[in-house]
Amino acid sequence: MGDHKYEKSFQLEEAIVDGVDISGEWNKMYEPRELTEYDTTYLEKVIGLDGGESMGWCYQCAACIGVCPVDNVGSYGPRKIYRKLQTGLNLFEDKDLWLCTSCNNCLRVCPKEVDMMKIMPAVREQAVLEGNVPDELQEMLQNVAEYGNPMGESARKRVRWAKDMDETFRDLTKEDDPQPVDVLWYVSDYFSYHNRGNDAARAMVRVMNKLNIDFGTLGKEEKCDGDSQRLVGEKGLFEELAEHNDSLFQKYPHKELVVSDPHAYNAFKNFYPKVTGNEYNVKHYTQFLSGKVDELKALYTGEFNKKVTFHDPCYLGRHNGEYEAPRTLINSIPGIEFVEMYRNREQGYCCGGGGGGMWLDGFTADHTTERLSENRIKEAVEVGAEVLVVCCPYEVSRFEDAVKSTNNDENIMVLDIIEIIDSCMQGKVAA
Amino acid sequence: MPDLPVMVIGGGPCGMEATRGISDLGYNVVLVDKAEFLGGNPIAGDYAALTPDMRNAEDAMNEMIEAITDNPLIEIRLNSSVVAAEGKAPDLSVTVKNGKGDEKIDVGSVIISTGFQHFDPGKETQIYGYYEYDDVITLVDVERMLKAGKFVRPSTGEKPKQVCFIQCVGSRDRQIGNQWCSKVCCGIATKEAIEIRDLVPDCKVFVFYIDMRMYGFWEDELYWKAQEEKQVNFIRGIVTEITLRGDGVVVKGEDTTMGRPMEIPMDVVILSIGMEPSKGSTEMAKLFDIPLESHGFIETIGGALNTVQTSAPGIFAAGASTGPADLEDSISMGGAAALKACAFIRKSQLQTA
Repeated sequence: MGDHKYEKSFQLEEAIVDGVDISGEWNKMYEPRELTEYDTTYLEKVIGLDGGESMGWCYQCAACIGVCPVDNVGSYGPRKIYRKLQTGLNLFEDKDLWLCTSCNNCLRVCPKEVDMMKIMPAVREQAVLEGNVPDELQEMLQNVAEYGNPMGESARKRVRWAKDMDETFRDLTKEDDPQPVDVLWYVSDYFSYHNRGNDAARAMVRVMNKLNIDFGTLGKEEKCDGDSQRLVGEKGLFEELAEHNDSLFQKYPHKELVVSDPHAYNAFKNFYPKVTGNEYNVKHYTQFLSGKVDELKALYTGEFNKKVTFHDPCYLGRHNGEYEAPRTLINSIPGIEFVEMYRNREQGYCCGGGGGGMWLDGFTADHTTERLSENRIKEAVEVGAEVLVVCCPYEVSRFEDAVKSTNNDENIMVLDIIEIIDSCMQGKVAA
Repeated sequence: MPDLPVMVIGGGPCGMEATRGISDLGYNVVLVDKAEFLGGNPIAGDYAALTPDMRNAEDAMNEMIEAITDNPLIEIRLNSSVVAAEGKAPDLSVTVKNGKGDEKIDVGSVIISTGFQHFDPGKETQIYGYYEYDDVITLVDVERMLKAGKFVRPSTGEKPKQVCFIQCVGSRDRQIGNQWCSKVCCGIATKEAIEIRDLVPDCKVFVFYIDMRMYGFWEDELYWKAQEEKQVNFIRGIVTEITLRGDGVVVKGEDTTMGRPMEIPMDVVILSIGMEPSKGSTEMAKLFDIPLESHGFIETIGGALNTVQTSAPGIFAAGASTGPADLEDSISMGGAAALKACAFIRKSQLQTA
């Protein structure tokens, strides 16, 4: 694993000892190796942190390494981090602090329950406080703090995607006397600001309208859910965002909260309650729609005659146990041929976007052989899929980049489930 | 046929439990030990606390001694050695030698519970320098210090800052001829590591191991506790050399999970020495004409289904005289041997009646 000093030799050109000439190679000596330091200072610092305790529990079975998506393209994983810490690594200032995508695969298999989902945010929080954050990530954090979204776009532009649509829907923040709404739809940053996300957002509106659902959005008042910011150690920012979004959830009465983004789902379901004390009746959109499969089927007028595969988002799957809802939706689509990738459901491979990875592309590239998203695209192509179906807003852009960088433009395309459902409702026939 | 006693040879935990069991069943028992005290290795070795429950070893042994004291069915002979045996059980005549001379005792059955001896680290092929360096000590030496309520660097008498255990010293080694795992050293080293961390909180503790063998509940009661609560550092890779550098010793080996060499200065190095058959065990095997098994311990012939049966009818062997055994094994085997010895006498009586 590490580099070490072996056999550094030296010799004197001229040496005479007690009258005996031992010049040159006759006096060749090896330098004694440096003593190994087992400086456990930083290990102790990590396990002393609230959330860092379980770092000290690793007994080196290496179960985590086999499933660590980052080790798959480099050398990484909880076992290795523990050993490096035990031998003096300052994790607080090391690259290893930022390579974890918090995909939860290690914890799934860890017999000792070493929990990187708690360890990483705890250690990163210290690094953030000390200003030891990769530049790309720092820029993102500033954007979120200033503008409420990682892109650094104005709040006004959050609703621009809906401008050119014939469809109408409620923007609760524009209603003078907002009446309760059945479904409060949390649109999320990438659906709002990213051009491919915009496609999915518009598809979502059309589908919801076809289903005659009374739904509304938080318009330009919506802000980033903060889950990824929490995972990169910006606890304070996360709490601010939680308070902000919670105040909107309380202000606009609704029966159900439906989110586009698994990270938002994770935040609202598991972490907002700890900050706000409120519980949320939250569903990911695939969960919401999978309960209406019969209605959807009745609305399909087109077909999608393609072989597709599905990428489980870490934050819907491993973090929250939902594997069936997206598959139910995919299998409801007429003409579709569904094939699983080798690594699916609990074993699903990470796209690399979680835990801050979304904003560490350049940084991560320096320490890995390929992007996780590239590795995943190759797998999707290998199983013969013409379409990689996703349901996390981070993923369309990540995977579309990976399709290009792996020269697979001719072989595969990336679509959100909602886009396929929408096209089938518009009578389109894809062949 | 008269009510002949069972003779128990060896008054350690195993022999004491056998003695108690025999008397509880209403049979006579003669307990013989060559030492001037009962309690075996836990007392002779000044053990501080038992593994894994950390119970005070002396208290626990005293409880066992008390259970077999002042009982008309029990005769205890200390400072006594078994030197000869004639006949076959249940008609055995055993000669016991003490300061006053030899005495022949008629017994119906025998339980050999002569235990183990600690491996002598001077016999280790790897050069650990136990007899050369003051700061290289054994698990037993640590027990002695812990019993006295302290843990210090022997060369200075001061509290150490960094210490390590080296596992498998004298065990699992073809060259030495000890091809067995001694079963208890991982647990005892870990127990001592916990005690050292409690006693000297500033002292870092390392355990260098080949593989940690923490049977059953020792896993979480000792191993996990040591790592998770006491921050003991377990490092896979055995130390192969100890050298003196300046005032201190340096351990050298490979950190195998890192794939790199290591040389670390230590204030104290503790050798986790294993078990060997005791001299008493090999002597008794010879005396009662029982073969030794391939490792040199007394051979039992019942495999897993009968842990105390030897090839000689009416002669039973129990505890660490038959192979590496922890306290639980020893006590359990002592009880099993008591039952079988009494049953042997009972069956003999029924046959002659």
